[in-house]
Amino acid sequence: MIFDIKEQNGGMYATVSGRLDTPAAVKAQQEITPLLENADKVITLDCTSLEYISSSGLRLFLTIRKEAAAKGGKVVIEHINDEIKKVFMMTGFFNLFEIR
Amino acid sequence: MNPYGLNPHCEMLLEEYREQLPMYDSLKKVVMEKLQLLIEQSGVETNSVEARIKKEESLVGKLERKGGKYTSLSDITDIFGARIITFYNEDVDRIASIAESLFDIDWANSVDKRKMHEFSSFGYNSLHYICRLPKSLYYDPQYPKLNEIRFELQMRTALQHVWSAIQHDIGYKSEIETPIEYHRGLSRLAGMLELADNEFSRIRNSISDYRRRAQSLVKSGNIEEVPLDGDTFRSYLGLHPFDKLNRKIAAITQAELHEANLMPYQGVLRQMGMKTLGDVERMMSQNFDDAYQLALFQLGSTDIDILAESVGIQNLCIVHILKSGGGRLGIKLMFDYINGKMPQNAVMADIVMEQAQRLSFMNR
Repeated sequence: MIFDIKEQNGGMYATVSGRLDTPAAVKAQQEITPLLENADKVITLDCTSLEYISSSGLRLFLTIRKEAAAKGGKVVIEHINDEIKKVFMMTGFFNLFEIR
Repeated sequence: MNPYGLNPHCEMLLEEYREQLPMYDSLKKVVMEKLQLLIEQSGVETNSVEARIKKEESLVGKLERKGGKYTSLSDITDIFGARIITFYNEDVDRIASIAESLFDIDWANSVDKRKMHEFSSFGYNSLHYICRLPKSLYYDPQYPKLNEIRFELQMRTALQHVWSAIQHDIGYKSEIETPIEYHRGLSRLAGMLELADNEFSRIRNSISDYRRRAQSLVKSGNIEEVPLDGDTFRSYLGLHPFDKLNRKIAAITQAELHEANLMPYQGVLRQMGMKTLGDVERMMSQNFDDAYQLALFQLGSTDIDILAESVGIQNLCIVHILKSGGGRLGIKLMFDYINGKMPQNAVMADIVMEQAQRLSFMNR
């Protein structure tokens, strides 16, 4: 399981762990359903244990962001490692998310 | 039973009022729905839209004072009243035009207090329409007389409303009842607020003119002297000035481009000393190749095939900052501006500095 999701403080809190490569992203599409269903709330993606993210993983994050934008919620990404920071910076994704 | 001690005629009017209250409630609901819908569609910003049915105690007071002049309840035109407060003078006229398009206006009893003052006097300014709801707009067989009821619509600016509300609050009536110095003080304030209303309108019109001129210059491609501000930058982004660079960068990994908000970069460009859109264009042409080169170093060895549209302008700004000697601190400040201050910005500045070392101008 890549996304471990729970409700917390009126919002949704997901611990994202492991390698979010293409096969994992395909599998995780089902896992993020509770986040999409609650996209009117604040969704926090805790990436402390996320080791790697591919383009498919970025698309998955974008899917959540798009749903949150449509429903009036927001996505906050926490604790990304330096390698993933590098990816977010190079792709301009830093401008798309609130990153803490 | 006559708890108010009214004469029989006024008591009859009061009884009529009690019987007709449900019809007035229905009228209020319909009028406000129609009015609010058209105001919303017109795009006029209002300070407030409020409505009320006159309270029984208030009607009793009115009947005590001048009940004899009313033959029936329908002669009293403010049992139901609505008030629309706008921010600008011109919007009072726009609301009036909306009211005219919706309701039958009793012109003989409507009054434009704004035009009633002598050239040397100042006071209550408001537009009052006495209206009826036409059957063509709404008809309820349960209340066939609803369309005959007259109601009052007051329209004024927020400043006119403030004056009126304070005047009412301090119990001012007329110069006959109030010492002349208070009358003069209130007149002076009315004059000042009238001046302020006109000035707000003038400023709004000037800003609109400025925006139209700037947008027209941007659209015609004549941007050299157009000042860089939020409005002009938004219009400029409508020309998709960074698309060419974005597409070239995206081609590195055949990436798709995802829409991003580039407006925060207006502040970054200002911080970088750009004053006009011409400055931005020059900065882009001077740094285009290096911004692309930086992207090539960043993405060339990856298989990332999704990028945000901010990637082009981000790299242009990075290159400009480095060429201007801004170094790591300049890059960090850029990220501070875009992302808000946070520790990650320093880490990202370090990553950028590492990647940028391979750019040719860094080794000169």
